[in-house]
Amino acid sequence: MTNSQLHIDIEKRLGTFSLQIELSVRPEILVLFGPSGSGKTQTLQAIAGLMTPDSGTIALNDTLFFQRRPALPLINVPARKRCIGYVFQQYALFPHLTVLENIAYPMAGQRDAHQRALTLLERIRLPHLAHRMPHQLSGGQQQRVAIARALATNPRVLLFDESFSALDRVIRDQLHADIRTLQAEEQLIVLYVTHNLDDAFAIGHRLAIIHNGHVEQVATLDDVFVHPANRRVLDILGIPNIIHTRVIESSTARLLLDWDGLMLESMPLDCPPGSEVTACIRPEDIRVLYPDRPVSHVVQQNYLDGTIVERRPGRHMHRLRVALSDRHVVEIDHPTRTYTNLPLPPGAAVKLALRKESIIVIPSRHDRQGHTSHQHYDPKPHSNPTHHHVHHEHNA
Amino acid sequence: MNWPAFWLSLQVTAIATIAILIVGLAAALFLTRVRLPGLILIETIILLPLVLPPSVLGYYLLLLLGRGSPLVEWFNIRLLFTLPAAVIAATITGLPLMVQSTRAALSTVDPVLENAARTLGSSEIEILWRITIPLARRGILAGLILGGARALGEFGATLMVTGNIPGRTQTLPVAIYDAVQSQRYADAHLMVLVMTGLAFVGLFWVRRLEPPPEQYRAATTRTEEVHDELAASH
Repeated sequence: MTNSQLHIDIEKRLGTFSLQIELSVRPEILVLFGPSGSGKTQTLQAIAGLMTPDSGTIALNDTLFFQRRPALPLINVPARKRCIGYVFQQYALFPHLTVLENIAYPMAGQRDAHQRALTLLERIRLPHLAHRMPHQLSGGQQQRVAIARALATNPRVLLFDESFSALDRVIRDQLHADIRTLQAEEQLIVLYVTHNLDDAFAIGHRLAIIHNGHVEQVATLDDVFVHPANRRVLDILGIPNIIHTRVIESSTARLLLDWDGLMLESMPLDCPPGSEVTACIRPEDIRVLYPDRPVSHVVQQNYLDGTIVERRPGRHMHRLRVALSDRHVVEIDHPTRTYTNLPLPPGAAVKLALRKESIIVIPSRHDRQGHTSHQHYDPKPHSNPTHHHVHHEHNA
Repeated sequence: MNWPAFWLSLQVTAIATIAILIVGLAAALFLTRVRLPGLILIETIILLPLVLPPSVLGYYLLLLLGRGSPLVEWFNIRLLFTLPAAVIAATITGLPLMVQSTRAALSTVDPVLENAARTLGSSEIEILWRITIPLARRGILAGLILGGARALGEFGATLMVTGNIPGRTQTLPVAIYDAVQSQRYADAHLMVLVMTGLAFVGLFWVRRLEPPPEQYRAATTRTEEVHDELAASH
């Protein structure tokens, strides 16, 4: 089963919300990332057979789990026969059974059930808790038992539905490491739902960005930040410094952008001069220049003058808000430890520089503008506190 | 002490309790699982014996079991003035208590647990046996005891459909009434004490079955054990 693949292409209407998901997952950890209410859990439930889509296909290799398409026979394999491991957010251990009985549950009637349950218990490093009841365990222990129980069915596919969101950071990191090991050993197909970007980075190989029932982009974790598919992906990822520019010049060497009077040079891209494009500037890529030192050759262009508006201390990075000469405000992540500390009090004048590569231009033709703008299933889809735009200071 | 009445009462109660368990559990499952527009109507009918006067129930049972009913005319089953009539009366009056309690207990079972069992390969019947009923067992048992106690104490409808034949259909509550009517107070005293004792034991048991505070709730994170856990996992 080296070339196994899970393919999902489904549609489901739930009131005014419509789920329309197409995904192909290979043996990897694919993180379904998006705001709550975007349809991540429903997608997992459809794969597991706990929710029936209106139409579409779900298949693992050549085995059809679900098929409802015109002129094709209806197939809907019940959840119990799909052999898909599902790890719930609320642990969902059976409270009337001991830890060992919980793990042995799916193996009822098999002769070696007890022995295999013990082996699984050792694998999650909890053999000393075999005869405890679930309510006597901590959250992290309960979730490990739930994982062992899911593994007892020998699944090819493992689904995690916000499974660790209630756990402490330290425990969560450890479980993430465990799952990465497990996935690599067994070559499992893993789907991991979260609305926490740190979790996505901690565990995922690839990221599927889900918004309002649609897959906006599927890419590796690096790629999604370098080549965001559209404006919505920027919003969901909480990338600040989104700018609206006009293309002045497009050549094989560079793209020259006019940002309300400021000229910015970025990497060449196929955009006709005169077109409007959205771009973002990664806050960690904006350099604050030392006033008395020569400028490094990597930042030969894109110098900006600004005034510090705010400085928020952080553990690894300070977050600076800097007003530019055209009154736009950009956010900058400035390392807390530098060779020489720059005094950066509010009101101070600073010189900034940014590399061509740090301006990420969103190709406008991929931007499915407005296809979902008027039907938000999520009551507060844009409440993400990291959801920044470049602010105009005209009113200030 | 009227021993024949005591034994008859025990027989009636035993059979009625079994009937209450089977019918009540089925009805409660039906009411919690099936989504039907007229469901509340069915539920109301099942609960009606709780509030109707026993004489009204007795009257309906007379219609159901007496001359002219389909049971007698088509199947030639004559139950009037027999022990089974007492069993039917006891079952009908005990059933609402069982259905109420079982329904409440079934609805406290977290649907996520049933979904978990589905993904672990269980069929719906298996989930019922291995997850839902075991988790609701306290409520089911409490309902059964209450229903059984109510069946034991059934008086009005029983009096109307069994004919009060001593040694054949006369149950303990009816015998008490009979004793008081014929001024055999010593007899009545003893029987009243026995009835009170049985009811007390039943209710005491039910109280003890009330769910304990924490144990069967869905467990939540307990952060205080984080350090133990970290230590244990290495």
